[in-house]
Amino acid sequence: MNLHPRLGDDTVANLDAVIPDEAELTAGTKVVPGRSYGFFTDTTVCIGCKACEVACKEWNNLPADDLGLTGQSFDNTGALSANTWRHVTFIEQRGTAGVRAHAQQPFQSGWLMMSDVCKHCHNAPCMEACPTGALFKTEFDTVVVQQDICNGCGYCVPACPFGVVDLNPVDGKAHKCTLCYDRLKGGLEPACAKSCPTDSIQFGEVEDLQARARQRVDDLHARGVQSAYLYGVPDSPGATGDLGHLGAFFLLVDRPEVYNLPTAPTRASNRVKPSLATGLATIGALALLAAGFLARER
Amino acid sequence: MGTRVGIVTLAQEARFQLVDDAGVAQLFILSRSAAAEPAQLPELQRCRTRVRVDYRAAPNLIALSAERITLLGEAGAGAP
Repeated sequence: MNLHPRLGDDTVANLDAVIPDEAELTAGTKVVPGRSYGFFTDTTVCIGCKACEVACKEWNNLPADDLGLTGQSFDNTGALSANTWRHVTFIEQRGTAGVRAHAQQPFQSGWLMMSDVCKHCHNAPCMEACPTGALFKTEFDTVVVQQDICNGCGYCVPACPFGVVDLNPVDGKAHKCTLCYDRLKGGLEPACAKSCPTDSIQFGEVEDLQARARQRVDDLHARGVQSAYLYGVPDSPGATGDLGHLGAFFLLVDRPEVYNLPTAPTRASNRVKPSLATGLATIGALALLAAGFLARER
Repeated sequence: MGTRVGIVTLAQEARFQLVDDAGVAQLFILSRSAAAEPAQLPELQRCRTRVRVDYRAAPNLIALSAERITLLGEAGAGAP
């Protein structure tokens, strides 16, 4: 049979040809099971090129979705979804929010850009909500959906305080960023971080990244950008409601809501006891009321 | 429902790429109603068996929904 030459290409990765511990060369960190890895996204150097979105779609074989015009400026993907695991948020602002206010005209730097992603929470609410155990913590302290276990119940979707997890209506299962679990297992840096031309997305061990991020905030403060702060490190916005810290955290220069991030995210499981207590109290109150009416009738 | 014949060259979760005899690649997502599991896709990729995929358009996606995969029992070019 005459087959197209492309069909003869080697479609299976030749692992012997992969540089061992490549992440050490590209991100300055060795990927070792048992340690915590994550992303530090410095939004002040994001240029909105969307290389991270493309790299994510390419590596993970994800289709383009949300077709058509969003009507929101340069934002073509709109939001994170089952098929978009990286989303560059474009925020158009009046003024400069204090950044280079004396150096440039406001219309020249009125953009905030942020590459959003699954936060890989330390105490992940999606994992707590999953009844089948499909969501699990990997050996790299990241949160991944195991597709053959997921039954598509969707409990993880409302449990996520960041609105990250989504169901794909075609296969009926939950999908989200895996922090390139397959690449980590091969000693590679995640695709989005590797493709970022300005190092806005930095990959590494979470503790190292947190120290690097604090240093960056100090530098920005020294340069006059007093609005810079971290979102998702311990004792900061984003790391609230027993979430611990976020594996993927951010350096922001405006309020979290501006970036479509919750100011004080919480675990859904924190609300179970109060909800149950409220329900029981309501039943008790209604029973007392009914007993009172019955007593009056007699 | 449309049909394509080719070999699976990429498989990840429920997504796979089918390359037909003309060398045209198409991305599919295994439908929830298909009698196959995502775990079976890597084996199809490894064996490079020719398959026929019956598909429907996936709403709001540049991908097709694979409703049925039929093995044609014919090894591809690089089959071991």
